[in-house]
Parts: sequence; structure tokens; C-alpha cells
Amino acid sequence: MTGPVDAPPPDESESPHPVTGLDDVVHQRVRLGILTLAHEAHRVEFGYLRTQLELTAGNLSQHLGVLETAGLVEVEKGYAGKRGRTWITLTAAGNTALAEEIARLKQLIARVETPSEQ
Amino acid sequence: MTSDAVPAGGDARRLLAEVRDLARRVRLDQRVTWLPLLVLALVTFGAIPVYSLGHPVLSDCRALSDGQVCKVWFQAVAFYWWAALVLAYVVIAGGYVRVARSRGLGTRMLPYVLTGVALVVLSAAATGALLLLDPLPYPDSPSAFVVFLMHLIDPTGAIGLALLVLAWLERRVALLLFALGYLAVVLSPPIAAGWGTSSWWGLPTQWVISGGLLLLGSAGFALAQRLRRTR
Repeated sequence: MTGPVDAPPPDESESPHPVTGLDDVVHQRVRLGILTLAHEAHRVEFGYLRTQLELTAGNLSQHLGVLETAGLVEVEKGYAGKRGRTWITLTAAGNTALAEEIARLKQLIARVETPSEQ
Repeated sequence: MTSDAVPAGGDARRLLAEVRDLARRVRLDQRVTWLPLLVLALVTFGAIPVYSLGHPVLSDCRALSDGQVCKVWFQAVAFYWWAALVLAYVVIAGGYVRVARSRGLGTRMLPYVLTGVALVVLSAAATGALLLLDPLPYPDSPSAFVVFLMHLIDPTGAIGLALLVLAWLERRVALLLFALGYLAVVLSPPIAAGWGTSSWWGLPTQWVISGGLLLLGSAGFALAQRLRRTR
């Protein structure tokens, strides 16, 4: 007598797909761009971000708000002469999040490029 | 760049390429390579009048059949180099911060400045140790390796070593090649021989060559930066 066959348990040894570890806050083009620029520049001015990412001030502010709320960047307002300037700095958490995101993207590419074993 | 979410796993390669491109653009905008080369060239040329005006300090003189042999220390030049190099690194750091800030960026110059100052301290410590501990090697010469190390931490050699760190910070192959070429010239036996020879012109010739190289490099990098910005 045969009964329904249970599906085999998932292979524990297989590493989870890189997509499962992606952070929605970081895995977004503009926010990843902000984190990259802030990481490379050590600290970066609002105007520079706007020019490089080709965004409106309002759009950029929204993305910065998301990153600031998540604790990934710090926003500091100051003055240069009479002009107001806003500086963005990456926090330690932001640094880690960026490194993890890039590592996962590389894993993803490696998965696509590695031919599956039959 | 748009604000679209990235399809998971769909376009990772393009996203990584964009990340690399942004990082490259920041590094290009942070560069002021001509500034350290110019400041260090001026410091090198400045050693020449200090050398010509200062008097060497003689010590541990020993009589020989055909005269005498002494330790010679160019005290004024040594103090000039140490003070001028530390001041130069402060000026360079200030210049980088100022330029980067005007472009809306921060800077990562600290490792370069710390390396430069550390090499000055090492050079001063080695000079002090040689004066205090080293017996007169005459008529024997120190080994080629010891002479090479001494030239390497000599002010002109130390400038080249610190430039290697700057090339790494700026991820700039052209500066790496320049620094290696500069070191190859200032450490080459005919140039480095100016150090320790009895001829008065030995050291000034060495400084004219190393300062000239730095000045040429500064002009070259300034021109390259100007061309890139006008494009």
C-alpha cells in the first residue's frame, strides 16, 4: 500500500539564498547611492548628493529621512558663511549595512554565474 | 539614478557597477594631488639655503696618518627638515580639507599625514641613535643594506614612502607610478651618493633633483586635473 509521499526536508547544509538577507532600507538604488557616497567621502554635503544622484531636494530629503530613522546616517546642519549647509555622515551601523549589502550583491552575482550542478 | 526598488537578484551587477562608479567619482573630486607635491618640492628646495648658511658640527675626530676623520652633523639642516616636513604635512592636510569641503566632501587624509609625521620622527630617532651609538665606521663602510635603509628614511626618501600611502588612499595608479619612479631616482646610487660625500655640492645636487621631480610631478598632476575638469 502506498500513501502520499512527504516532501523531502530542506537541505540544512545549503546556504540561504542571498536575496533572503537583503535589507529593504538599503536595497534601494538611491539609498544605496547615498550610503556609498557618504562612505567614500567620509562625510558628504546635501548639494553634492543631489547633484550626483540627480534628485530633487524633496526626494533626497525623503530618502535621507528613511536612512536617518534606521540609524544608518547622521544629518548635521551648519553654516558656511551665510549659506546653510547640511552634512551627512555614515554611522557604524550604516557602514556595516553597506558592507553587507555589497557582499550580498556579490553573492547574488556569483550564484547567477555559477552553473547549477545537475 | 531613479528611486526604483531593485528587483531582488535581477540587476545586482548593474547596481554594483553604479556603486563603483559613484565611489570613483568621489575619489576624483577629492583629489588635490598637485598640492602635496608642490609643498614638498618647496620644502626640499628650502633645505639648500639652510645648508649653505649653516655650519656642520664636527665630533669624535680621530687623527690619521694623512689628516683626521670626524663625524659630521649638519645640525641646522636636520632641524630644518624635521620642522619643515611636519609643517608641510599640516599645510597639506589643511589644504585637502579646505578643497574637499568646498566641493561638498570630507577627506581621508589622516593616514597620509600620520605616515608622513611618523617617518619624520623615525628619521630624527635614527639620526639621534647614529650620533649617540654609532662608532666611526671609517675606514670600513656600512653594509649596502644599512646605507639603503638610511637613505629610505632620509627626508627625501621618506617623502617618497609617504607618497605611496597617498597613492593608496587616492587609489591612483599614476601617483603610485610617480612615487615608485621618484624613489628609484632618489635612492639610486649616483643621486643618493650626495649623502655622505665630501663634496659641498653633493647634498644640494640631490635636493635639486628630488625637488625638481616633485615640482614636475605637481605640474603634471595639476594639468591632468585641469584637463579633466574642462572636459
